[in-house]
Amino acid sequence: MRRGISIAAAVTVVALTASACGGSDDDSSSKPKDPKDVSGTITYWDTSDAATEAPTYKALVKQFEAKYPKIKVNFQSIPFTDVEQKFKSAAKSGKGAPDVVRTDVGLMAEYASLGYIAPLDGTAALKDTSDFAATPLNTAKYNGKTYGVPSVTDTLGLLYNKKLLKQAGIATPPATWDEFIADAKTIKQKTGAYGTYVNPDSYFLLPLLYSNGADMADPSAKKITISDAAAVKALTTAKQINDQASMKVDFANAYQNMQAAFKNGKVAMLIQGPWSVSDTLSGSAFKSDQANLGYAPVPAGAGGKAQAPTGGHNLAVYQGSGNLDASYLFTQFMTSTESQVAIAKGTGTLPTRQSAYTSEVTSDPKVAGFKAVLDKTARPRVALPQVGSLFTPLQQNYVKILQGDESVGKGLDATAKEFQKLLPGYSIG
Amino acid sequence: MTTAASTGNTKKTARGDSSPRPARVSALRRSWDKYWYAWAMVTPVAVVITVLVLYPLGYGFYQSLTNANEANVATTIGAFHRPATYDFVGLDNYWHVLSGADGDFYPRLVWTVLWTVSCVVLQVGLGMALAVLLNREMRLRGFYRAMLILPWAVPSFIGVFAWRLMLNSQYGVFNEVITAFGLPAQNWLGTPLAQKVAVVMVNVWIGIPFNMVALLGGLQSIPKELYEAAEMDGASPWQRFVNVTLPGLKPVSNTVILLGCIWTFNMFNVIYLLLGNNTTGDTDILVTFAFHKAFNGISDYAGAATYGIIILALLLAFSTFYRRNTLKSEQA
Amino acid sequence: MTAATHEPGATPPAAPARPLPATPRGRKVRGRQERAPWASVALHCTLILATVIAAFPVVWILFISLGPKNAWQEPGQVLSHLSLHNYSDVLAHSDLAQWFLNTVIVAGGTTALGVFLASTAGYAVSRMKFPGSRQLMWTFLVTQMFPSIVLIVPLYLLMSELHLLDNYLGLILAYATTAVPFCAWMMKGYFDTIPKEIDEAGRVDGLTPIGTFWRLIVPLAKPGLAVTAFYSFLTAWGEVAYATQFMQSDHYTLAVGIRTFAQDQRPDWAWTSATAIIITIPAALVFMLVQRSLVSGLTAGGTKS
Repeated sequence: MRRGISIAAAVTVVALTASACGGSDDDSSSKPKDPKDVSGTITYWDTSDAATEAPTYKALVKQFEAKYPKIKVNFQSIPFTDVEQKFKSAAKSGKGAPDVVRTDVGLMAEYASLGYIAPLDGTAALKDTSDFAATPLNTAKYNGKTYGVPSVTDTLGLLYNKKLLKQAGIATPPATWDEFIADAKTIKQKTGAYGTYVNPDSYFLLPLLYSNGADMADPSAKKITISDAAAVKALTTAKQINDQASMKVDFANAYQNMQAAFKNGKVAMLIQGPWSVSDTLSGSAFKSDQANLGYAPVPAGAGGKAQAPTGGHNLAVYQGSGNLDASYLFTQFMTSTESQVAIAKGTGTLPTRQSAYTSEVTSDPKVAGFKAVLDKTARPRVALPQVGSLFTPLQQNYVKILQGDESVGKGLDATAKEFQKLLPGYSIG
Repeated sequence: MTTAASTGNTKKTARGDSSPRPARVSALRRSWDKYWYAWAMVTPVAVVITVLVLYPLGYGFYQSLTNANEANVATTIGAFHRPATYDFVGLDNYWHVLSGADGDFYPRLVWTVLWTVSCVVLQVGLGMALAVLLNREMRLRGFYRAMLILPWAVPSFIGVFAWRLMLNSQYGVFNEVITAFGLPAQNWLGTPLAQKVAVVMVNVWIGIPFNMVALLGGLQSIPKELYEAAEMDGASPWQRFVNVTLPGLKPVSNTVILLGCIWTFNMFNVIYLLLGNNTTGDTDILVTFAFHKAFNGISDYAGAATYGIIILALLLAFSTFYRRNTLKSEQA
Repeated sequence: MTAATHEPGATPPAAPARPLPATPRGRKVRGRQERAPWASVALHCTLILATVIAAFPVVWILFISLGPKNAWQEPGQVLSHLSLHNYSDVLAHSDLAQWFLNTVIVAGGTTALGVFLASTAGYAVSRMKFPGSRQLMWTFLVTQMFPSIVLIVPLYLLMSELHLLDNYLGLILAYATTAVPFCAWMMKGYFDTIPKEIDEAGRVDGLTPIGTFWRLIVPLAKPGLAVTAFYSFLTAWGEVAYATQFMQSDHYTLAVGIRTFAQDQRPDWAWTSATAIIITIPAALVFMLVQRSLVSGLTAGGTKS
């Protein structure tokens, strides 16, 4: 085996030298050039939905090329499910990595901590930062530096079928989780439709955690908080919702099934994000009557707070890009007010720049509906590099709790133990 | 289909033994003269396998002796430099896993073995039953055979897609079919137990054709005289199956079972694609578990590699044991 | 035990323990006409049931693909709304044609390379007991045991060093490592069934071993080669993980392309089902081409354990 090791070591060295030679472009980035003189080819990895959203982004790329004729953009559609793996392999090896990548805000801390994406403070990529809404801009920060430029944002809200609520005699959507459960029961009784459909994906658990004052961990105190009293309260409520308020959950097909049930009027209320709305409006309950879809903030928890996680996408620049100048310009262009307006109009997603909420954009009920929710309840998530790994044990134990295989307390204790393996130096408390 | 040297006819094939030429040249030279054709013919495949399989394998073994992960290996990307800070930890990872200290290995192993055994038993059993049915003259034989092999021609991820659609407890056709037969509808991809039944079912669907085809060929190579002799002795169909068919199939079935075990043990697609992410983790087999280690969040290179090497070691031990036993029984 | 001796009808008749006149042509005597009618019915019923189970998932996907956008939720709507709309949609709005071409290149390359590597290696091991042959066969077996998916990161680094990333050849080589070990094993078994006298004859005629292999043995090994081709083709045609990691969007194969709209969380079943059918058709065609050889080819390899 000694031979194996030395070969491995040798190749590692080769790999490093190669990427070291190929990558750095420090000179060019230190003295800013006139944008019009920047030239070359850059690769952009797009993760928007290939069928419905990508055409809008492609059109913007064309406009960019028209504006900067010396820069050519290689547009690549990457399946959203695979992008993390694919980007990490490419970024690590220095070969095949894009120059600019559209990145889910949940991955920013991980990429930044691993050195894959470049800090953008003071570069051309970040322009008019004061125009960005605070919460999305926050998602791009890690250890005090800005690693991405917010492109679209989203949060979870309460979508509801106005007709069904009215039929059940409910005037306003539930404001607390207890009301949510009670209303669900009334709806089932009076209309036959189910109150809700629980999405067992742990991301959709976050509003419950946040609004009860719980979170996965507290980096400033180096504490794992997923098993504290607030979290137990949140999960107990989640289990109640599943048992008393929800249509029976199909765990493997939960997302599609809850969408199908909601848009066809079999379910009255759903915790969902803005990305789902166009699909919802195509269903039989809303097709002919789009105003039947109501938007509200997620219900509030024990402390009276209603909070939901901030999602969305940022554009990040690969640290090893051979053409940082062009990458910065491209990032700036794609996140400018004009581009954000075009994206909002083309895809119905929410802009991150305040100036992009033009009357034209907010005339779209989807955007207007979620904009109000966003302003009220969206908050950043814990910015830990390990957050991607933390979701796995949380997910598994959440499913166990929902299925009744484990009590809330035991499930959360098990989760906390798994967290401790992933967060060295953290204490449970 | 075994390692070459264990079978008989070695002497005849060793080329050049009869040639009167061998003068006093060195042994090396002689063996070069004798074998260079053979070596030339296997060189391409040996090179490809060595570079693309054995090298990563060696690299994985090396990683399994360290505590390397994505955050502590040397990284130089553009302006970003980070020296390697991982350590050589010897066999610690193996100890951590095998002693049960990580809490995951033994539960995953038990399910992996159960999964492998159920899949292989059902695949080989049903494959053999179908092969026996097909191994006779009848109308539509070619049609049946073609249709029954069809799942093999469907890329496995598409087969899994189809099943996922069908097994949907709320909109899937599968529940409608079984309720039409008076059976209760199930939440197929919901609870761990139902999920386990579902993945075995889908994997058996995918795996039967290969087994059926191999065993059908095996049946056809059993000399008819044996059946005739058994019939003369007044053996019942069942006795003939047990005393003629099964022993006659042994060479094929031994191979098919060995391959089935190896392939099923590492069957990634079915479990990963059928169940999605909202699982309790109870349905993960060793290889999907290792995959999560390698790719969820900050990659645990050392942990994933340790699992990979352990999987390899388990299968090697099993194959050696299995071959030794089947060779013995074949010779007996 | 040559491939040519396979004859159908080796199973005995259903009537038990009836003395049978020992005729040299047992096949005719045991003609299926003698099967009891109820046995015939039972046999066909069982096989029809098995056929339905085997074919149903594919047929179901085909059915859904012909329906409207929401057909997966409301299969009842399909028959009244039959159309090829999903197919034309997916062809018009995705790079399906490009993916298809890429897949054909990669699968074709893998098939050619797989057949070449597996047959040469199988022949060498079958005919020449050279030092190292045993180790080689063991190595083949071992490559089947290691979960390569776990080592995709080192493999990626290696491919990038060899300039094989985003490159048809790189993907073809990676697939060859998956397909060849099994195929070489099988070819070795197949070559074992071809009489050695043929090689001797070739040598008497002054052919080199490679000439003998190419001119005399390969033509006799067609069923084995057909199975090898089928197996290699399928390996490449339906593989997801390597293709996802190694290829960029201009070089996506169908299996990666379909993932751009068949994401784990929210698959677009309309497009996915149509694409799935488009992916399945060529595989089924290749299967139809070789299916006559499958039984004899695969088993000759297997029997000669």
